Order: sequence, then structure tokens, then C-alpha cells
Amino acid sequence: MKFIHYLEKISGVSIYGLSSLLIFALFFLVMSIWALRADKHMMEELRRLPLDKASFFLIATPSDIDNPFVVMAIIIMIILALAIALLANVLRGAAQIPAKPDADDEELTNDKDLSYAGGLARTGSARNMAMLPFAAVVTGLSDTTFYMISGVILLEVVVLLALLYNVKLVLSIHKKNKTAAETAGQEAIQPAVPRVSWWDRVNRFRSKEEEVELDLGHDYDGIRELDNRLPPWWLYGFYCSILFACVYLWRYHVSHSAPLSAEEYTIAVQKAELQKTAYLKKAANLVDENTVKVLTGEGDLAAGRKVFEATCFACHGKAGEGGVGPNLTDEYWLHGGSIQDVFKSIKYGWADKGMKSWKDDFSPSQIAQIASYVLSLQGTHPANAKPAQGTLSK
Amino acid sequence: MEIEKFYYDNKTVKWFGYAVMFWGIVGMLAGLWAAIAMYYPALNLGLPATTFGRMRPVHTNAVVFAFVGNGIFMGVYYSLQRLCKTRMFSDTLSKIHFWGWQLIIVAGAITLWAGKTTGKEYAELEWPIDIAIAVVWIIFGINLFGTIIRRRESHIYVAIWFYIATWVTVAMLHIVNSIELPVSMWKSYSWYAGVQDALVQWWYGHNAVAFFLTTPYLGLMYYFLPKAANRPIYSYRLSIIHFWALIFIYIWAGPHHLLYTALPDWAQSLGVVFSIMLIAPSWGGMLNGLFTLRGAWDKVKEDPVLKFLVVAITCYGMATLEGPLLSLKSVNTISHFTDWTIAHVHIGALGWNGFLTFGVLYWLIPRMWNTTLYSKKLAGTHFWIGTIGIVLYAIPLYWAGFTQSMMWKNFTEEGQLRFQFLETVTHIIPMYVTRSIGGALYLSGALLMVYNLRKTIAKGNFIANEAAEAAPLPKKIPTHGKTYWHRWIERRPMQMLVFSLIAVAIGGMIELIPTFLVKSNIPTISSVKPYTPLELHGRDIYIREGCYLCHSQMVRPFRDEVARYGEYSKAGEFVYDHPFQWGSKRTGPDLARVGGKYPDSWHYNHMLDPTSMSPGSIMPSYVWLMDHELDTSRTGAMIRAMRKLGVPYPDGYAADQAGKDLARQEAVIDSSLRADKIQAGRNKEIVALIAYLQRLGKDIKEAPKEQTASK
Repeated sequence: MKFIHYLEKISGVSIYGLSSLLIFALFFLVMSIWALRADKHMMEELRRLPLDKASFFLIATPSDIDNPFVVMAIIIMIILALAIALLANVLRGAAQIPAKPDADDEELTNDKDLSYAGGLARTGSARNMAMLPFAAVVTGLSDTTFYMISGVILLEVVVLLALLYNVKLVLSIHKKNKTAAETAGQEAIQPAVPRVSWWDRVNRFRSKEEEVELDLGHDYDGIRELDNRLPPWWLYGFYCSILFACVYLWRYHVSHSAPLSAEEYTIAVQKAELQKTAYLKKAANLVDENTVKVLTGEGDLAAGRKVFEATCFACHGKAGEGGVGPNLTDEYWLHGGSIQDVFKSIKYGWADKGMKSWKDDFSPSQIAQIASYVLSLQGTHPANAKPAQGTLSK
Repeated sequence: MEIEKFYYDNKTVKWFGYAVMFWGIVGMLAGLWAAIAMYYPALNLGLPATTFGRMRPVHTNAVVFAFVGNGIFMGVYYSLQRLCKTRMFSDTLSKIHFWGWQLIIVAGAITLWAGKTTGKEYAELEWPIDIAIAVVWIIFGINLFGTIIRRRESHIYVAIWFYIATWVTVAMLHIVNSIELPVSMWKSYSWYAGVQDALVQWWYGHNAVAFFLTTPYLGLMYYFLPKAANRPIYSYRLSIIHFWALIFIYIWAGPHHLLYTALPDWAQSLGVVFSIMLIAPSWGGMLNGLFTLRGAWDKVKEDPVLKFLVVAITCYGMATLEGPLLSLKSVNTISHFTDWTIAHVHIGALGWNGFLTFGVLYWLIPRMWNTTLYSKKLAGTHFWIGTIGIVLYAIPLYWAGFTQSMMWKNFTEEGQLRFQFLETVTHIIPMYVTRSIGGALYLSGALLMVYNLRKTIAKGNFIANEAAEAAPLPKKIPTHGKTYWHRWIERRPMQMLVFSLIAVAIGGMIELIPTFLVKSNIPTISSVKPYTPLELHGRDIYIREGCYLCHSQMVRPFRDEVARYGEYSKAGEFVYDHPFQWGSKRTGPDLARVGGKYPDSWHYNHMLDPTSMSPGSIMPSYVWLMDHELDTSRTGAMIRAMRKLGVPYPDGYAADQAGKDLARQEAVIDSSLRADKIQAGRNKEIVALIAYLQRLGKDIKEAPKEQTASK
């Protein structure tokens, strides 16, 4: 009753070999396409990677660890890893049901698992590359961290699926065997020594024979109750959660070593300010109402137009003809018509007149583009123009 | 001892069973409607009643109180008689209970569609219905305890402990949260305001989940699972510990719905830590269920009832682990106000409540009709369609919630928000579409079940009164040898009631009382003034249309929210908000500081056709606000009610001055609309709504630094 024989009996077992092959082929195909398309610069960068950072393997810098996404991802990773351990154990247990396989077989099944999981793992990483555009979604997180985290989670999911599949496979073999044994009227195969599995131990399961002693003699409409002990991990988990509660309350409300909501906010804003100033020092984005100049470049005007037609049009009309807000195509202005004035109106708004401040929505250079586009509308005379408001200014 | 003969009442169970199926389908249809409305707002057909803001409370109330509610009663009326070895206390009370509850549901649906709502989630029903609920609940209680007292079984089984705790806690929650001051037949204002109202509401809301969706269903699990699997309960002592721990801890966790809000920090922290401590007691129920199946797993493969029960219990375990994790502040930062929460509750609702109900129905109906299930295969199909439905429902929403939250928090390197709010909405619309497909699958599975059970009923013969026999309860119950200390209370249902009430009252009192009495919890802001009469009318319209179901009014102290909406919300800003309108979901942007952000005419055009001002918006048109005239005859009554609740309007304001002020403010808004060529008509509802929206968040800007804590 060797395990391998069951495998042979399954009809269409060859499909797994074939699919593994396919997965490998696909992986190499993707890999070579990627390698061919990667430009020199990138290859150079890749080559330098470990030398750039001494702590290459410590990709998650302290700042990344603070990121709630990372914290959550790590929790998910741990949970998935636990699930993998659990399932792997179930699989081991299930594989041993029919008969205690000897060492060779065990190695063989493990081999199969490994190659299967390995193959899938590689497709996992290939899939990650396709996920590139999503990276920008997580703020303040280096791409490497993001990919590493999502890669690990994906890998874990894939391994889980593979394990699940194998458990099902093994169980179906077991069932087949059982029915076969029953029909043949043979004595069922009896395991020499009942093995106490890891799962049974961790839950303090008692065997079915001991159930009689555990029966409390209660009978509610035929429902009996056993007196099993509490699963130890459950009980200690409960204690841990109570300990967690005490530590948590202590940190937030007694020792004040953890920031409350308002403090957390102040910290986040300070950190962001630092990052912003550091960035702005490098970038040529330091336009304000004093230094702004009319932009005439086609790219700038097109960018301004894009924002205008998506946002400003609601009040000022698609062509700047006015509506809820004033007409922007004539020479009359409520708050001045110079590039500096228009920049200021957009940046700070005129809240009492219903024009909101846009400085939190658009960057200074974007506001300069919008202001320049607005000025480029001068004298276009669109249809349905709103009558002039404000004073003439040229 | 003489054996007594008696009969179980199956008729009431049958009626509740029919009600479960009927309201289940109705509730799920309403849900599907609301789900489609999220990407196809024109589905409302231009009618107020079928707009998302009204369909959503109809959906939640229908599935919680009609589907699950009737499911509870069906299961309790069946199991209680058998666990107590007696017929229900009174057939008349059973009848009143059944019809009373159905009447409440019908009245609830009609009033919600008509826009009669208190504006408090899961407690939307207006005061006359609240009173009716209390009456019917007490009738149920009399029937419940009457039966327990007349039992022929010496001790009460764990399922009944859960029924008792459910009854007493729901009574407490319902009464405390529904304290409101009627203004008219179908309008009332919450007794509490702002932060206090929020705390009471989520103390109620969270524990409605705990004691309406969880504990009674755990009771049902403890009866139907061992019955269906024919296995003994795994651990009696686990039952004891997880029962008492669960009811004691659950009640504290409400504030985890209000993390990072203006609720005092200490209350938030209590919400967090009790949520974490709740993991083990919740899992105790799951483990006792799953371990009971030890030695019966081969049956799970064959029996559709057990399949449904196993998935239900597993979903319960997943949801009760996820819930506490969502209560951690770092996770809540991401999940709150997004679709993640919606996905989470549906794992519980579709998986735990839905599947357990289906399992119980598949088990009960063949037995009560003395036959076998019409088609096991069809039940298996239902199982798979339902499971796939749950997966297709939940995963897209998890994805949507996570993605949207990350987009909200995304800044450019220049320190600007990278995405406009609308972009984050249009980005996740494909996920909404997939979710509605999952929901449709789940609904079609339920329809299959109804067909299957109809066929089963057709081939069986209903046993209205099922014969049973048992010895009467002896005067003195013999105890032999060592028994558990807990056996003492199992013979005393009234003590059980009292102890449960004490266990659930502690947490509530410790959280609620200081928030009400200690002034420093809500620092006053002197520039915050009561709403003008017109704004008050606008607020009533805001509540009536269910705006709070998509728009929050709570800017949390996050960098992105302050950049997007303005200064974060302070407790003192909400002192005149009866009821509070913080909301729990941001399908649209936060409105706490929308006042003065856009011109009046922007709001007019936006309410008339949201896409004209925000291309791609999924908000429906509220065209009827432009036609309906404002009912100013209620102004006096509204002001008087608010005064009674402690809002400082001057003496005699309601009589005359309020009306004048209202007319003056109408004229101001009307002229500002006219200036932008909009002929609204000054007495239209839209004018009042604009007045309210333009007021939101403005007071604090008058005197930003004047915030002082007065003792």
C-alpha cells in the first residue's frame, strides 16, 4: 500500500506534470521578455543594488514599519503563515491515513509539493511585475517594500491554494481506498499505534474512546455535553489579549508613551512638512504669487486646460464664459487680472464669494498653469458669455 | 413518577419560517437595488422612495429585523419548547408576537420609504414604531420566561442562556437608544446630542450586532448543530466561560466605531482594548461548534444542513477575528469610512446569519412536515451559489475599500493631495459592479431554497401539534456527587436574567455616564451657535433623504483629511446636533466643513444634477427638492422641541421671531440664487437644505482659537 500507487491510479494525473511544465515555460517566457525589454540603465541599477545600501536585506526601514499598511500586511503575513503551517500539518496527517508511508514515499510526496509550490511561486513573482502601476497608490512606502510585501502575501496565498488542493487530492484517494476496502470485505488497515498529531495535542483532544468518561450525563432533547478542557492555546490567547489591554491602556493613558489622536496628527504633519521642504529644495516648484510669470508653453497651457475643463468649468463654464462664477474671457476682473492676481485668486480663493482656495488641491506650478490658461482665454468671446463684472483691467 | 403527555406548537414556528423566507427575499432585493444604485444612480426612477438614501435603511432594517429577527423567533420557538419539554407558555401571546412583529416590519418599510426616519443607523424607525417594538419585545419576553418557568427539565441548556441574555440586552439597548422627543406623529429628535448621541448610538449599533445578530444565533447553533450532527457538545465548561465573557465584554466595544472622531480618547481606547479581548470569547463559540463536529466530518460532506452550518460558523470566526483587528487604530485608519466595513459586515450577515438560517430551515421544514428534503442536490447547488456569492461580494469590496483609502491618503511629493475625491470613487466602480453580481448570486441561491422548501412542504404533511412526553419537574431536584458550581444558576432563570443584565450593564454605564456628566469630555466652543430655523428645516431634509448614509460629518485628525476638508472636528462643535450626523461611510466626501466652500448656486445645480457640477458623480439627482414646498407650519414645534432638549433659543422665539428669521434667510439665499440666474422660489425645500449645508463647519472658523474647557 504505497502512497505512490494511489497517485498512479488517479486518472489524468499527467495533467499536473503538464501544467507544471506550462508554468515553467510561461515563467521563462515572461522572464526573458522582461530581460530583453529592460534598458541598460535599469540593469546597471540592478547590478549596483546590494552595494548601494549596506542593509539591503533590511528593506523595511523604521519609517516603513510605521506605515499602517506595513503593519497590517505583516499581520496578514503571519496569519497566512499560520494557516500554511496548519494546512501543511493537515496534509501530512491526511497523507498518513491510508498507511504509514515509509521514508522514501514521504520524501517523494514532499518533493512533489516542493516543485509544485516552487513552480507556482515563480509565477507569483512574474505576476508581481504586472502589478507595477498599483505601487504609486501607497504613500510613503518604497516600491521595494510594497512589492516585497505583496509578493510574500501572494506567495503565501499560492502556497495555501496548492496545499488545499493537495489535501483534497489525498482525501479523495483515502476515500476511494476506504470504499474499495469495504466492498472487498477486508479488514480495514489498522494503524499500529494511534498517532497523536500536532493538531490534537495543541487542542488537547481526547480520543473517541475516552468520550464516555467525559460525558456529563446532561440530556437536553437528546443533546449531550462533554467535559473537554479548554483548548490551551485559546485560554492563553485570552490571557494574552487581557495583558494586551492592560499594556495598551497603560501606554496611552498612564505613561503617555503612545500618541493620542491629536498628537498623532501633529507628528504626521511635522513629518510631512520636513519631507516637503526637503523635496522642494530640490525641485523647481517654488512659484508663488510674487514670482509667477505667464507660461506660454503648449504643454503648460494644455495642462492648465485639462484642470480647467475638469474642475473650474463647473462655475466658470467650459470656455470660461461664466455661469455660477464670473466670465473669465472679458477684460473685467473682480479681483485683478494680472497673472499674479489670478494666481492669488486660485491659490487662496474668495471664500465669501464662493470661490474656494485650491492650494491644497493643486501644486504651485499647477496653479501657474491654470492661471496662464485662464489668461489665454482673454478675448475669445465664447457663446452665452456672462455680462462683465468688476473693473476693467488690462 | 408519572409521565405527562403534551404537544409542541409547530404552527408558530411555521409562520415565522414563512416570514423568514419572505422577508429574506425582500431584504436581499432591497440590498441588490441599493448595490446597483451605487453605480447606476438613475435606478431610483426619479422617485424619492427608491433613492439610495432610503433604500439602504429599508435594506438594513429588512435583513436585520425582518429576516434575522424572524429567524431568531423561528429557532427560539422551535428549540425552546423541546429544551424545556413543554409547549410555549401561551398560544395567544405567540400569535400576538408573530403578527405584531410583521406589522412592525410593514410599518417600518412604509415609513422608511416615506422618509420618516430618526437618522440613527439601525434605529431609524420613528417613535410610534419604537414603542410598538418595545411592546412586542415584552410580549416575547413573557412568552419566553413563561415557557422556561413551566419547563419539565431541571436545568436550562446553554442555548437558553443565550436567549435570556439576548432578550434582556436588546430590551436595554432599544429603550436607552430610542429616548427621543416627538415633534409630530412621525418626527422626533434624539434626546442626546453630538458626541453623547454618537456614543449611545454606537453602543446600541455595535450591540445590535452582538445581541441581535450574534448571541441568539449562537443559541440556535447550540441547538441545531448537535441535533443535525448527532454529536455531543464539545465542552460544557467552554460554553460557560465563553458565554459570560462574551456578554460582559461585547457591550464595551461600541466606541471602536468612533476611533479618531471627536469622542474622548479614553472612551476610544476602551473600545479598542475590549474589542481585542473579545476575540477569544467569540472564538470560544466557533471552537465549541466546530469541535462538536469531531467525529462527524464525514457527515458534513453528505449533509447540506451541516455544510451550511459549518460555513456559517467559519464565517462567524472570520468576522469576529476581523472585527477586533479593524478596531486597532492603525488598521482603522485605513478601513473606516470605506467599503471594507461593508465587506466585513456582509461576511457576518451573508455567511453567519444567512447560512445558519438556511441550514436551520433545511433541517426544520422536513421535520415539521414529516418528510424528507425534496432535493438534496438543489440544496447543494444553493450552498455553492451562496458561497461563491459571498466571495464575489466580499473580495471586490475589500479591494475597493483598501484602494480608496490609499488614494485618499496619497500626497504628491510637493505635499498636495494626489487625487480629487471623485477620482477615488470612479476608480472603484468596477468593484461595485462585481459586488452586485455576488449579491445577485446569493439572492438566486435563496430563491432556489424557497423553491426546494416549497416542494418539500408540498410532499409532506404538516404536524401542527407534535406529541411529546416527559416527567414533570420534581419539587426538589436531586443532585448526586460533584456538580459544577454553574449548575446552580442553570436552575434559576430569573437569577440568570438578573446576572446577565448586570454583566451587560457595567460596560455601558462606565462608558456612558462620564461622557454625560464630566464637562471636560466635551470642551465648549463659544462661537458654536444653535441652527437658525431655516437651517433646522434643512437638517430635517438632510436626515429625511438619508444623506448621512453616504456623507460623513467628521473630519478626523489625519493629514489628508485636514488638507482635503479643513480643520479636524472638535467635540464642542456638535452640542446642538440632535441627532448627530457623523455617518459611518464616505461614498461621497465629508461635509463637516462644506459650508461656504461653494456658492449657493453650485449646491442648487448639484442637487438638481450632480454630474453637472462633478462629472462622473454617482450621486442621484434630488429634483423633488426643487418642487416641494417647505412645511413652515412645523417651525414653532421644532424650536420648542429643541428648547426642551436644551438648545438655547431665546424665550418666546418659537412664537413669532423664528418665522420671521426663517423668511429673512430664505430671501437672502433666494437673491443669491437669482444673481446666478436661478429662479428657485424662496419657499422650496432646496433653499432650506442649502441654508443647512452652507452653515456646516462655519461656526468654528469665527473664533478658531477660542476653545476652552469649562469646568
